[in-house]
Amino acid sequence: MTPAPFQYARPKSVAEALALLRPGAQFLAGGQTLVPLLAKRALRPALVIDLNRIAGLSDIELTSSHVKMGALVRLEQARRDPDVGTELAVVRAALRHVANPVIRRRGTVVGNLIANTPGAELPAVAAALGAELLISFQDGRTSRQKVGERLQADAMATHVVWPRQGGAGGFSEISRRDGHGVLVSAALSWGPDGLSVGVGGVCTAGLACPQVALLLTASSPGVPPVTALAAALARDVADQELHDDLHASATYRLAMGAEMVRQAASAMAEGG
Amino acid sequence: MDARMDIIVQVDGRQIAASVRPRMLLSDFLRCHGRALGVHIGCGQGVCGACTVVLDGVPVRACTILAVQADEATVQTVSSQAALEGFAGEGLTPLQAAFREHHALQCGFCAPGLLVATAVFLKENQYPTHEEILAHLNHHLCRCTGYANIIAAITSVVR
Repeated sequence: MTPAPFQYARPKSVAEALALLRPGAQFLAGGQTLVPLLAKRALRPALVIDLNRIAGLSDIELTSSHVKMGALVRLEQARRDPDVGTELAVVRAALRHVANPVIRRRGTVVGNLIANTPGAELPAVAAALGAELLISFQDGRTSRQKVGERLQADAMATHVVWPRQGGAGGFSEISRRDGHGVLVSAALSWGPDGLSVGVGGVCTAGLACPQVALLLTASSPGVPPVTALAAALARDVADQELHDDLHASATYRLAMGAEMVRQAASAMAEGG
Repeated sequence: MDARMDIIVQVDGRQIAASVRPRMLLSDFLRCHGRALGVHIGCGQGVCGACTVVLDGVPVRACTILAVQADEATVQTVSSQAALEGFAGEGLTPLQAAFREHHALQCGFCAPGLLVATAVFLKENQYPTHEEILAHLNHHLCRCTGYANIIAAITSVVR
């Protein structure tokens, strides 16, 4: 397979990359989602802007409140990072399930969050923790936005910032094969503000679940029965669009969302 | 519109200079320009693992990378297997010998990618558990062996 023709540029700075950005252009970071789509000609950009030679986007920094990852931080780099291990236990737990170790060596955390497919692990974690993307615009402005919000046409996501957790984290998922697209996942994390919960695959995007978190906190250190969790989850998804495809119905996904929360909570309660 | 670019890539110790279009995948470049015919192209979308090579020390699937991205980089394919395994002897490397001994390949299409990926896997995890070996193989498609012989071959090298 060969992609359709495109122009190619490899800027050396974020400013250069933004100057190149125009309709029909596509950023390339890890390329583990993009290049197969190009090869299948599902995407036909006029210009591919390769970010891999921009210096300074490959670092994982610990600030007083956040863990900050540049747009070129690879998934496996993040999984092996000691600060991620202590401050973002839930992210490390989720990363083990993302694709496979070889793909993870190349694919990036920010790219995975921007692709934001229902079958991805990290968007559910990002929703749970309220992770934000740092955005640079062509006119020099910068801003932040929640993962899952659509990027504007003149914008580039340069970093993701995750609130430091410091506490235990748990992640459970159902997929047809390990390392392949997630049907349903749940992410739990103890942080300075208490317990955060997110589910993936239930709605069209990762969803934070404050009602489930309240119930779990009230029952801690025990784990409530799955029926109670399902009732809480139903309140969290009340005004959301449920995800439904040929692999699993919305009903199944909702039921399994509660069960994945139960499994992740039980594993955490056992210190696993 | 897609102007050719001059790139230089070190492939298995040889300097390969070529003028390529941006849309050429690294897997095609390695075969067409690098004559690295040990790079097998299976699915062409990063799923099967047959085109796994080592790019600047990092294992990657060559079909998920553009050739122009490898400009000024070093690529090791299965032809560099001895170096990847740190094997200085003559003939087959320990992994290659194990694959032969345990009949871990039949048609051989998946074998080069498997050998390269397994060399890196074992370098980073000298004593993998059975489950870790299974997880490693989960992402390489082999349609002949049913995997049992591949698992036996890798296990024999670990012991």
